[in-house]
Amino acid sequence: MQTTSRTSRKYLATPIFGVLMGLVYLVAFSIGGSPLNGVIGLAVMVVFSGALLAVRGRIETVRGLLDHRDERISAIDLRATAVTALAMIAVVLVAFVVEIARGHSGWPYDMIGAVGGLTYLVAVIVLRIRG
Amino acid sequence: MRNDVRERRTAKGLSQGDLARRLDVSRQTINSIETDRYTPSLPLAIAIARFFGVTVEEIFHADHI
Repeated sequence: MQTTSRTSRKYLATPIFGVLMGLVYLVAFSIGGSPLNGVIGLAVMVVFSGALLAVRGRIETVRGLLDHRDERISAIDLRATAVTALAMIAVVLVAFVVEIARGHSGWPYDMIGAVGGLTYLVAVIVLRIRG
Repeated sequence: MRNDVRERRTAKGLSQGDLARRLDVSRQTINSIETDRYTPSLPLAIAIARFFGVTVEEIFHADHI
C-alpha cells in the first residue's frame, strides 16, 4: 500500500542537493581565495550526483535510497543513518576529550556535541507527541 | 514471520519482479519477505493480502503470538 505517486520526482532531491552543495563549495572556496579547489569540489559533486542518477535505473538499492518508495530500503537507510550518527558522535566525543586534555577549550566539538544532543532531545519530544 | 507469499506468487505464475511492480516495492523486498528475512509493515502486508484475495492472517503466520 505505497502512497507515493509513480510520477514523483522525489528521486531528484539528493542529486540536486549534491549539485547545490557543490556550488556552495565553489562559492566558499572562491571567497577563501582558492577557486580551483571550489571547481574541483563542484566537479566531484556533479559527478557523484550524475552517477547516482545513472545507476538508479539498474540498481534497486540506489533507486530505493533516492525515491524512498520501498519501505525496506527506507528502513535500511534509516538504520544506516543511525549507525553513521553513532560514528560521528564517537568522533566528536573523542575529539572533544583530546582537545580538553591538550588544554584547549574543546571548540568546536563542544558546540557540535551540544547541537547533536539538543537535536536528539527535540526529535524524541516531537516524535513522541506526533505518536 | 512465516508466510505463503512465494507459494501464492508462483501459483499465479508471477515472478518476484512482477509482484514487486504490482505492489510498488523492490524485487529485493519481495525476496526478503519470501525468505522470512523481512517482516513487512502492516500497510504492505494488507496490500499483499489484498493482491492475493486473502486476509493477512491467511498469508502471514505469527507463530509466537
